[in-house]
Amino acid sequence: MRSPYAYQPHGGALGRAGVGAVGAWTFALATVAFLSANPLLSAALIAALLVAGALSGAQRAVRAATRAGLVLGLFVVAINALVVRRGETIWIRAFDLPLLGQIDITAEALAEGAALALRIWAVLLVFALFSARVNPDAILLALRRVAARSALTATLVCRLVPLAAADQARLREAVMLRGPGAAPVGRGALARRLLTGSLERSVDVAATLELRGYALARAPRRRGRGERLAARPADLEMTAAAAVCLAVAIGARLSGLLDFEAYPSLRFDHDPISATAVVAIAVIALLPLAVRAR
Amino acid sequence: MRALAGAPLALRFEALSFRYPAAERWALERITLRIEPGELVVLAGRSGSGKTTLLRAACGLVPHLDGGEFGGRAVIGGLDSREHGPGDLAAVVAYLAQDPEAQVVSTTVRAEIGLAPALRGAASQAQARAVEEAALALGVAHLLERTTDSLSGGELQRVALAAALTGRPSLVLLDEPTSQLDPVAAEELISLLRRLNEQWGLTVVLCEHRLDRCLDAADRVIALAAGALAFDGSPAAYLGWALDHDEESATPLARVCRAAEISAPLPVGVRQARARLRPLLECAPSGAPAEAPMPPAVRRRRSRPADPVALRAAKLWVRHDDEIGRPEALRGLELEVRGGERVALMGRNGAGKSTLLRALAGLAAPWRGIAEAPGGIALLGQNPSDYLVRDRVGEELPGESGARALAAVGLSAAVDRDPRDLSGGERQRLALAIVLAGRGEAGAAMPGLVALDEPTRGMDGGRKRELHRLLGRFGEAGAALLVATHDVEFAAEFADRVVLMAEGRVIADGGVETILSGGWYFSTQVGRVFGDGIATVEAARKLLAARRSLHTNSVEVPR
Repeated sequence: MRSPYAYQPHGGALGRAGVGAVGAWTFALATVAFLSANPLLSAALIAALLVAGALSGAQRAVRAATRAGLVLGLFVVAINALVVRRGETIWIRAFDLPLLGQIDITAEALAEGAALALRIWAVLLVFALFSARVNPDAILLALRRVAARSALTATLVCRLVPLAAADQARLREAVMLRGPGAAPVGRGALARRLLTGSLERSVDVAATLELRGYALARAPRRRGRGERLAARPADLEMTAAAAVCLAVAIGARLSGLLDFEAYPSLRFDHDPISATAVVAIAVIALLPLAVRAR
Repeated sequence: MRALAGAPLALRFEALSFRYPAAERWALERITLRIEPGELVVLAGRSGSGKTTLLRAACGLVPHLDGGEFGGRAVIGGLDSREHGPGDLAAVVAYLAQDPEAQVVSTTVRAEIGLAPALRGAASQAQARAVEEAALALGVAHLLERTTDSLSGGELQRVALAAALTGRPSLVLLDEPTSQLDPVAAEELISLLRRLNEQWGLTVVLCEHRLDRCLDAADRVIALAAGALAFDGSPAAYLGWALDHDEESATPLARVCRAAEISAPLPVGVRQARARLRPLLECAPSGAPAEAPMPPAVRRRRSRPADPVALRAAKLWVRHDDEIGRPEALRGLELEVRGGERVALMGRNGAGKSTLLRALAGLAAPWRGIAEAPGGIALLGQNPSDYLVRDRVGEELPGESGARALAAVGLSAAVDRDPRDLSGGERQRLALAIVLAGRGEAGAAMPGLVALDEPTRGMDGGRKRELHRLLGRFGEAGAALLVATHDVEFAAEFADRVVLMAEGRVIADGGVETILSGGWYFSTQVGRVFGDGIATVEAARKLLAARRSLHTNSVEVPR
């Protein structure tokens, strides 16, 4: 069974644009998510990323990231509510937990946890889209431009996870095939075996990469004029959208918009200007994908 | 192909020695050899004799990646490996290692095959042409749009070779390239290498245990023993040398010819062997019947209705769970195997052999039909190392049932050893013990069915013989043995029944002499010369002995 995050060739803007352009787009959206915990901004980003997933045919990756985001988000909300003792609106008063002592659960702590969970969800969606829609082969070639002598690094970046996934499937089957008289294999032993095996095989793959000519003196790739012209608009649109999104978000923050304060009482900007900025970020992020959806 | 006059040497070793860190003995010891451009060289030798190390030294992985003690010189296409690492040597040499999964770098087949031209800055049209030509040559054009993680081992092997060749190397090193391939694909691969060698002057160094597949295509054979050069000469001379020093490393036909007292030079291929043996097979003395009686059949066990059913598959359908290519791996398969039978399961890559084994072991759920092993099943997969998780053999197999399983595979004395220190054959036996442990009923060591998936991959003749003996012991204990294999020669020696699969169904099912002697591809080397009914060296020897006994001294048998 293939991982939902595994790359699958697909059309659409994310599939057609170059690694650099898609990298800039995803980096910009992840950065925007980190610029403010304002739930309006996080919600708009999540909505944009869900639409982006649909437009680029990465629904499976988006669903998996959403599941992971929900699990992780619930965990963060619960922990934040139990650990943080700030906030004016107490919903559940003074109960005792082992180790944590006396606990008050406040609406503000819950809200802060929820805002954090939304940011985590947004960031997971960004990486799911990148993983499912950006060709690792293109990443490999891009890495070569900056580190031609480091085939091992390139291998670890591009192949360690797929190799580990393949090894894990095989090792799990081997565990299932052990006779009832053989020693049972716990998760720790399996994880150790998996890690050492994957690293060893990564070294073998790095050797293969070297022998394919990764470190050979690089000749500039000769492209035809038509090819060059065809590749640029999609890249330009993605890069421009990334830059504008980032600029709008930074501008909004510098202007004092999109604030979020959880304590002592919950307060976040949701005035028309903030809302406009948030919608603009989402729409601009989606524009290149919508234009080149087919 | 003869060496190209005037061209620089493809490969030169001068007193080359190498020892891995912490190893007691040298993996290579003072090897001196020269390989001319345009030669096709077969590298022979037992497991552990240093063949892989030699190939890795010929592409710079030794000593640049595999650190250790290095002496002497290796000059590849004029580049000294002391000064040039594998990255530089990639301009002149390509290397195809044993494990195809460790040779895949890219996500899709098209990208994988096009990687070498892309790294060399080839124009997109040149890249596309290189990919197309390599894909057509290796028979993988239909796989170009597939992702590499969806390919079988055999498909990966061909894709890896295509990827290695698109870099246009002048020297290509191949470490057991046919070990994962079915007989059809293996023959096609050897033919392709020969064609590239003859038409484009590609120098090929091919390391193989299955010499019956490639000796006919070779110009020269180099044999290693314990890291040292043991033989360097023509294929025919090699066969004579092998029969004198290590009969297991000679081809089956060479063994038959030696038994028939055929004089040197021994025939290298089937065609030559047929010509040399024809007088013995056709000449009949005056008054004698033209056809000598068939030899007493090699003892083959037949199943009896009283034997318990060890495997039952009825109207079995299994579907792939990853929606890749043809959705059904098995399509209404019918098969029954009884206790004590030795069955070789054969067929092309993707025929459904491994899926059948997985369904029997509960690793693949039937979509329809029945797959069952009523007396229990112990299945050993293709990679024995996957079963070895702990640092001591005894820790893998504790207690009484563990000890019984170790005894069953002859490893009782190894309880305190580290599995990583065991030889390849011992590791396979330990993995077998792990899957067998505790599966026998009422304290017996054996379950009803012992199944192995491609157990002879990368094995030399001696280790195959060892495995054969071990499986024989299991069979005598009452277990049915089911071995999925591409190794026709091993199947002929081991099995008493051969089940041939294609497209997820059984297409032939019968005795070894019937199935492995009449076909074009699924036929032993002996079967190709002797025809219907004779598939093994033993059967051929007996037939020749019977023929010779009919000859009078007046019949001159050309030698």
